[in-house]
Amino acid sequence: MSNGRVVESPLGNEMIQHGGLVPAQPVVGVGALDPVLGVGEGTARRGRRGRSRHGGHRTAGAFLAALGLLLATLLPGLAIGGPAQGKDKVVFHVAMLGEGVDSLNPFLGFQAPSYEMWGLTYDYLTGYSMKDMSPEPGLATKWTTSPDGRTWTFTVRSGVKFSDGVPLTAADVAYTFNRVLHGTAESTNWISYLKGVTAVTAPNATTLVMKLKKPSATLPLLPIPIVPEHVWKDVSEKEIKSYGAEPQGGKPVVGSGPFRLVQGTADGQIFKFEANPDYWGGAPHIDEVIFQFYKNDDSAVQALLKGEADFVEGITALEVKSLQGKPGIQAHNGNSPGFDEIAFNSGSVDLKGNPIGDPDPAVLDPSFRHALGYALNLPQLIQKVYQGAGLPGTTIVPPNYTEYHWQPPTDQKYTFDLDKAGQLLDAAGYQLNSSGQRTEKDGKTPISLRLAARSDSPTSLHTMDYFQQWLKDLGIKSEVSTYSSSQLTDEIYKGNFDAFQWGWYVEPDPDSMLSYMTCAQRQHSSDSFYCNKAYDKLYEEQHVSTDHAARAGQIKKMQEIIYRDAPYLVTAYSSIGEAVRSDRFACLVTQPNPGGIWLEQYGVYNYIHLKPAADASTCDAAPGLTGAVKVSSSSESSSSTGPFLIAVGVAAVLALVAGGVVMMRRRSTVGDRE
Amino acid sequence: MSLVAEPGLVADREQADAQPRRRGYASYVGLKVLGALGSLFFMLIVNFFLFRVLPGDPAKTLGRGRLVSQEQIDAFNKTYGLNQSMPQQFVTFLKNIVHGDLGISLQYRTPVSQLIMDRLWPTILLVGTSTILATVIGVYLGIKGAWNRGGMFDKISTGTSLTLYSMPEWWLGLLLIAGLGVGFWFVPGIFPTGGLNSPDVDPNSLHGVLDTMWHLVLPVTTLTLAYLAEYSLIMRSSLLDELGEDYLQTARAKGLRDVRVRNHHAVRNALLPTTTLIALNIGFVVSGAITVETVFSIPGLGLLSTDAIDVPDFWVLQGTFLVASAGVILANLVANLIYGWLDPRVRT
Repeated sequence: MSNGRVVESPLGNEMIQHGGLVPAQPVVGVGALDPVLGVGEGTARRGRRGRSRHGGHRTAGAFLAALGLLLATLLPGLAIGGPAQGKDKVVFHVAMLGEGVDSLNPFLGFQAPSYEMWGLTYDYLTGYSMKDMSPEPGLATKWTTSPDGRTWTFTVRSGVKFSDGVPLTAADVAYTFNRVLHGTAESTNWISYLKGVTAVTAPNATTLVMKLKKPSATLPLLPIPIVPEHVWKDVSEKEIKSYGAEPQGGKPVVGSGPFRLVQGTADGQIFKFEANPDYWGGAPHIDEVIFQFYKNDDSAVQALLKGEADFVEGITALEVKSLQGKPGIQAHNGNSPGFDEIAFNSGSVDLKGNPIGDPDPAVLDPSFRHALGYALNLPQLIQKVYQGAGLPGTTIVPPNYTEYHWQPPTDQKYTFDLDKAGQLLDAAGYQLNSSGQRTEKDGKTPISLRLAARSDSPTSLHTMDYFQQWLKDLGIKSEVSTYSSSQLTDEIYKGNFDAFQWGWYVEPDPDSMLSYMTCAQRQHSSDSFYCNKAYDKLYEEQHVSTDHAARAGQIKKMQEIIYRDAPYLVTAYSSIGEAVRSDRFACLVTQPNPGGIWLEQYGVYNYIHLKPAADASTCDAAPGLTGAVKVSSSSESSSSTGPFLIAVGVAAVLALVAGGVVMMRRRSTVGDRE
Repeated sequence: MSLVAEPGLVADREQADAQPRRRGYASYVGLKVLGALGSLFFMLIVNFFLFRVLPGDPAKTLGRGRLVSQEQIDAFNKTYGLNQSMPQQFVTFLKNIVHGDLGISLQYRTPVSQLIMDRLWPTILLVGTSTILATVIGVYLGIKGAWNRGGMFDKISTGTSLTLYSMPEWWLGLLLIAGLGVGFWFVPGIFPTGGLNSPDVDPNSLHGVLDTMWHLVLPVTTLTLAYLAEYSLIMRSSLLDELGEDYLQTARAKGLRDVRVRNHHAVRNALLPTTTLIALNIGFVVSGAITVETVFSIPGLGLLSTDAIDVPDFWVLQGTFLVASAGVILANLVANLIYGWLDPRVRT
């Protein structure tokens, strides 16, 4: 049980009824203290009896002082365990892992947790559906496009208010977008979403007009947080680069979102949000959300077990497995919209297009890379490296995006078939020499590949180890080297690699992911240096397409090209491990539905709709969504650690006791010697 | 960890005697302070160039998957002054330092001085407390162990502290979390599993202070146990060196109590190496303790530095290294001044 955590009494009672999750804190504190005190006094007495001469008093005094110290350290626990300070608040505690919040200023942050913070604080023009992340009304209730596709008109919801009471109008939306369009620091993160936008205006409070150079297929998805003009107009271009947008003097950050940030700072550990009771989408069912960042997944899982956290995100598949059997906890591996890949150097060039780096000639050849597609035992990889969490990968658009994902037909699909891989390599001119080594096209030089893995990712290391083995089975020599992520980024830009392992998250509109494989992105976002004119043409076409179905067809065609040319061999569609205290909170729904993730979604649906277990008998009716987390009862104790730890504990206690005994004996001999 | 310049213990006695004491000390102090300032300035320059050698481009590392276009990367570099040439950046850096400005963190887009101030207090609380506790307990164990060398207490304390010393800190920390944070068997988990304070508590209230203390029990215990051997072993061996000395025999012959012989005669003389170690380690307090900070999710300076390396966040690295080197240089200076005051022979 955490210290000073606001345990809402109705919920607390409910939990105890459900099987008594946690006794009230004072009981725990006193319970822990009593035996300690008892032991302490016992030893003190024995000490005095054993030594009747001088020095005895002093040692006893020291002992009392030590006891006092011990009491002093235990006291805080008692004090904290005392009367709960929070009255009837329902607080959802989320243990976050990984990189922290890099900036609460929506124009500056890059890291995923920052997006979660903005999502709670601010509103967006459009949102993402829970089912498949397709566009949904947000601040904009509806939108229309002109026949030429170059003017978009959004109708902005009326009656929305910022947390300081000022109404939110189309002018705020226009202000935010214009700041991105015309700023420097402001443009870094968001300008790509407004590519081709020439002007954004708000003719009246409920209308927003957006003019474009060319039609844009990615609209109306605009994940830019809408900030209040009346606050941000005072933040100058010079100030914004270090402007925190953090709560000041107890006042929340001004935003219109479902929650209000009342505590938190960039790179901080704790972020506290209070519900916005007047939220236009309906008031949340909880009073507060508190994010606490953990640097270590073991500690975060322990916090969940103990009840300090109600939710933990980003844990490993093994941890999910260990949590799944626990009463009162629901854990899963949600399919995240991302993939991992083995990427090849498909032709490293500098900005002017001159070849750089020293790739092996073989990896530059699409037919060589294509053949290696048959050398990957992906089911085994998923089983061994991903502990069964994840799906074998195929293309660069994950199957979560049903509309755009291209599923390779059987005759094109890579299967694990070393014979076929060997035949394809033979046919492409990479023959085996007399000593069983596969040679370059010249028939003499044996192929030798450098495989780069990232030292900060065990998945990366293990994937490359397996890949090396499969290459060896084909007679291809290779060597795995590890790099830190920034080191590897450097090497990639220099073109000094043959293959590396990494991954991407793919946004609901795959446009940006598709763009990374275009010729123009070499030395920018492209890390494979892939360049194919036919692909680029399709990219340009789909980018300005206004025909939805035709665009989906083009996107599938592009995936087919990438799949065949294999600058990337997609190894896995990754998953994210999550666990929730279902004895306390329920009604979480995955995105996409079914099969997706509970938190860090596109949008903040679950924060608004999750309910405390006490009144979660009916979850909000969400049309077409299934598998909401149901309330489960918990066991009486939340802790269960293996016999190993108990043994360690016993050993430690024994050591202490032995030490104590020896100390006593030692004291008496000092006395004797005098 | 012997970064401290050994004070010249062997000095010409006559020379020292010939100089008037007060003036000698003043010039000694002046020289030492000047030396310290020189080291600090040297560190500043080394820091700047050292981190520029690190692989990685901040805009590309931070912006992987986000900064799609060259315009975005250029905008980022322009905003944070990374588009300037190296000499230009160095001049800006020196100018800013003179004004007490450590720059803006590339990763958190916050002034570095503010980041460091936020992290300084938790670091001092965690590492400082552990250093003091480890010193007191370690010295005590060392004295007790040496005084009855080979006895049961000596064997157990030396064995235990060595075992703890060789245990990885993170593992010890995790054991403590699993044991005392979560609880097992009949032992209740009374301590928090991580963090510096509870989310609902105002850290500036009395309740908040107690809460922070409560959160620090496990991490401080971990570090204290890990540091223990360092002090106990040094104390033990230097006291052992004194044991055979004649003056102890004399003291005993005078009829002094054993405790008095130990505390007032032997230990006094054996304390010098330990003093050096303590002075040094106090200097290292501000460097933080990366592993324990990680396991217990304590926002300390150690974590700040390691997180910054991957980007690489030049300004944060310069800032934290400046603080760390200033800590060591200052502790070194103080140690030197104390030596000079305690033992006039070192003032050459």
